[in-house]
Amino acid sequence: MSSSVQSIDAINAAADAVVRRADARFDAHRQEIVRTTDRMFAWLLVAQWLFAILLAVTVSPYAWQGKEKTVHVHVWAAIFLGGAITIFPVALALLRPGALLTRHVIAAAQMFWSALLIHLTGGRIETHFHVFGSLAFLAFYREWPVLVTGVLVVATDHFMRGILWPESVYGISNPEWWRFLEHAGWVVFIVVFLILSCRRALRDMREMAERGAELEALSENQWRRSSVLDREAAESGRR
Amino acid sequence: MSIGSSERRARASAPIVALGVAWFLAVAVGFLALWIYKTRPGAEGGAVPRQWPAASRIHPSAGRPTLLFFAHPRCACTRASISELARLMSRFQDRLDARVLFAASSDDEMKTDLWSSAQRIPGVTAALDAGGGEARRFGVETSGAVILYDSAGKLAFHGGITPARGHEGDSFGRQRIAALLEGAPADRADAPVFGCTLDESRPAQLAQADHK
Repeated sequence: MSSSVQSIDAINAAADAVVRRADARFDAHRQEIVRTTDRMFAWLLVAQWLFAILLAVTVSPYAWQGKEKTVHVHVWAAIFLGGAITIFPVALALLRPGALLTRHVIAAAQMFWSALLIHLTGGRIETHFHVFGSLAFLAFYREWPVLVTGVLVVATDHFMRGILWPESVYGISNPEWWRFLEHAGWVVFIVVFLILSCRRALRDMREMAERGAELEALSENQWRRSSVLDREAAESGRR
Repeated sequence: MSIGSSERRARASAPIVALGVAWFLAVAVGFLALWIYKTRPGAEGGAVPRQWPAASRIHPSAGRPTLLFFAHPRCACTRASISELARLMSRFQDRLDARVLFAASSDDEMKTDLWSSAQRIPGVTAALDAGGGEARRFGVETSGAVILYDSAGKLAFHGGITPARGHEGDSFGRQRIAALLEGAPADRADAPVFGCTLDESRPAQLAQADHK
């Protein structure tokens, strides 16, 4: 085999090694982001649960029948439904951080929280912004399928309520057939931007990983060369 | 990765996926229960008088429509109805005389945060409905019930102005009232009321004990 063919093989092998190293760095970085985001959401979910209980106890503690009071359904909903929404994703975030299912369950849970908070605040228009804030927060995962899971939960909620009780979604009992598109349009609007931002962030991460791998390979080569030179200098000194 | 190891992984994650599906369904059932509660209208009273009742101690406004809003002073669900009334009044305060009547035994019992909210709405008068007498005269049993009489004292609308229990947002009731005040013909003049029962029929001693 000629020396030029040997050197091409060596270059190809080195390039492959750099690609493998870049992939490993990219995967490690991505996994770290996903795990950190899982932990952030675990805290957020618990905080939302406590906030919801405080809100229900403060704003609507009792239901009244004349002079007779009973604990308001909102309080039970905040404790039990809020607990049901929170416990499973938090357990996954703690026990299986970084797993695919964990982030999709978290995305669904976050959207469930939007719906529950809207109920607990009596449908206040301001609370609907929780949906958009949550989608932005879910973009921290830098994975568009997670956003799709979130949107699907919101869309299913709107679709079901639109059929069963259209007034609660559209304010009128016989909305025009295209009315859901107006609601969906605003969610799609933000999600498109978030997906573009996720893709861009991934591209940046990939570039960083490649650059890091190249630098690593370069410094290893330098180290190898300098150790060869050191060895040769030591041998010539002994001679 | 070998086929065997991927099969093992799939088998290992199957219980978690099943748990995830069970969790999703449990939460969905929870929301359904909450939704059933929120869309269940309050008790319907007797027939709402078609003309302003002569026995009433309050009088209709001369020359413009009168809106009566009946409220329980502590009903959390009525907070949303008060917000909807505020929205309505921001458009029609010059064309409408609105009164919020709180079914309570005394001024002290009436003066809750709901009373303060009602009083702050421009064009609204908040007053005590001692013992819920007016509510009974107007055939109302549920907090948040609204009755609109036109300038001639004729019933134009009765019902609630929220889309669900304690839930703000556009509703048939509020839109109907707005349409009537703008001169549109009424095709339906009632809407479900969502709120606490006004029932004031409990014995006084029991009522006092609750109040302590």
